[in-house]
Amino acid sequence: MSAVIQILVLGLALGGVYALMGSGLSLIFGVMRIVNLAHPSLIMGGAYVAYWAFRLGGADPLLILPFAMVILAATGGLLYRLVFEREARSAKYSEMTVLLTFALAMVVEGLLGAAFTNTQRITSPEYATDAFFIGDVFIPKGQLYAGAVSLLIISALALFLKHSRFGNAIRATTQNREAAELLGVNVNFVGLVSFAIGVGLAGAAGALVSFVFSFFPSKHWEWIVILMSLVVLGGMGSVLGTVLAAFILSTVAAFVGFYFGATWSTLTFFVALFVVLLVRPQGLFGEKPELA
Amino acid sequence: MSGLLEVRGVVAGYGDGPAILNGVDLTVEPGRVHCIIGPNGAGKSTLLKAIVGMLKVREGEVRFKGESLLGRRPDQVLRRGICFVPQERALFPKMTVRENLRMGGYSLSDKSGLERRMDEVEDRFPILKERRDQIAGTLSGGQQQTLSMARTMILKPEIVMLDEPSLGLAPKIVLEVFEIMKVMADEGITILLVEQNALLGLKHADRGVVLDLGRTLFEKPADEVLNDPRIQELYLGGRKAA
Repeated sequence: MSAVIQILVLGLALGGVYALMGSGLSLIFGVMRIVNLAHPSLIMGGAYVAYWAFRLGGADPLLILPFAMVILAATGGLLYRLVFEREARSAKYSEMTVLLTFALAMVVEGLLGAAFTNTQRITSPEYATDAFFIGDVFIPKGQLYAGAVSLLIISALALFLKHSRFGNAIRATTQNREAAELLGVNVNFVGLVSFAIGVGLAGAAGALVSFVFSFFPSKHWEWIVILMSLVVLGGMGSVLGTVLAAFILSTVAAFVGFYFGATWSTLTFFVALFVVLLVRPQGLFGEKPELA
Repeated sequence: MSGLLEVRGVVAGYGDGPAILNGVDLTVEPGRVHCIIGPNGAGKSTLLKAIVGMLKVREGEVRFKGESLLGRRPDQVLRRGICFVPQERALFPKMTVRENLRMGGYSLSDKSGLERRMDEVEDRFPILKERRDQIAGTLSGGQQQTLSMARTMILKPEIVMLDEPSLGLAPKIVLEVFEIMKVMADEGITILLVEQNALLGLKHADRGVVLDLGRTLFEKPADEVLNDPRIQELYLGGRKAA
């Protein structure tokens, strides 16, 4: 029994981090209909911001998190202005943005590799290797903090989307772009801000990831599968769905890892992606795909 | 006479595609209900989209109260007092009824005024008050149409343009939609209606506008259009209008 609780705790803590990693991706897809394949590479960017601050000044990744968020958000805004805004008028928008984000992922990977080499890195604040017990259950502080901070940020995002005027404009644009525009929403500006927020969330996730997993520039290819499975299970564009999917899949993966070995744990996400697309392509909260 | 909204010789189309409108004229008179009829592909919806700035006008002129609307974005046209309710899905399906109403007032800067106007609209359409916290996508077709039309009243617009509000609704519900339109007209709102069901549309209108192949055939009082033999033959299936 205590083994089950133990796995559940670890799965849920990690689920929080995955949820934060996926929520930005989901937000950007919802508003822009862009499957941002570069999202994990931008998370990697956030991780290197934290790593760099840690190495140079011994800064706590949790304190660096807001800076990583701002730096990446600015990067996101710039990318939108330079690359994606002009693509919005293209008739081949969906195809072009997939290729663009794929190229962007490789560029980011290359830049990070050139700047930081391909060595495995991790930040090691004290709590990252510390842990405590509740009864028999082993609780690693690093994962607990990362999960908790993720949930805090996601809650703030949810409150913003639900209750602020601009958050409502973002949701409206996601649900019916044309109607939002007709009611006076500047949908291009909504796109810019959503892109910046989405990439900013990637930066925040990166700072947390920096002390949970070891990382190197090309590791983002591994994450993209995990994030895609979350976004697809949650329903493309539904931030709430992505968060729920993160908790479900990460818990299942933890159980699979415990009973069948760590290699199989990652496979959970591959299989989930495959099965969801076959059986329920709209995911938990997405709209039914239109039959053309 | 000069109209509230004047469209002169407008040529427009989608993207780089062929022109759908080939010289449309339209005079919108204040306080009246105007019904635009014409066969499929005549350019009825396209005309509304061109007025509101969703399409680029290639030639011609669109003037509202004497000021040109050419080159304006939809949100700028809206702020001048012209609301457009597009065909079918005009709502935000996963937001509540109240949130949809609030989005209707997005362009207002006065926040306290917005809440008061939302309450006024709810008072006029009690079903919206009853269903205030319901997710809009789960409303019936008629209720969704009520919400999209009532939502425009938050802005107290001068002109409301309705693109086939009766589309896909049961006959009984269609009459309710025309009732709502009448409420709006009684408030002094000028209505520009595109309707596939020409007979029904003209019966509820003051002025009739007939489009064909992207041109205006003629504009005149709705009852004259109804009784015009050419129109009866072409669009009304030869039936004698009541």
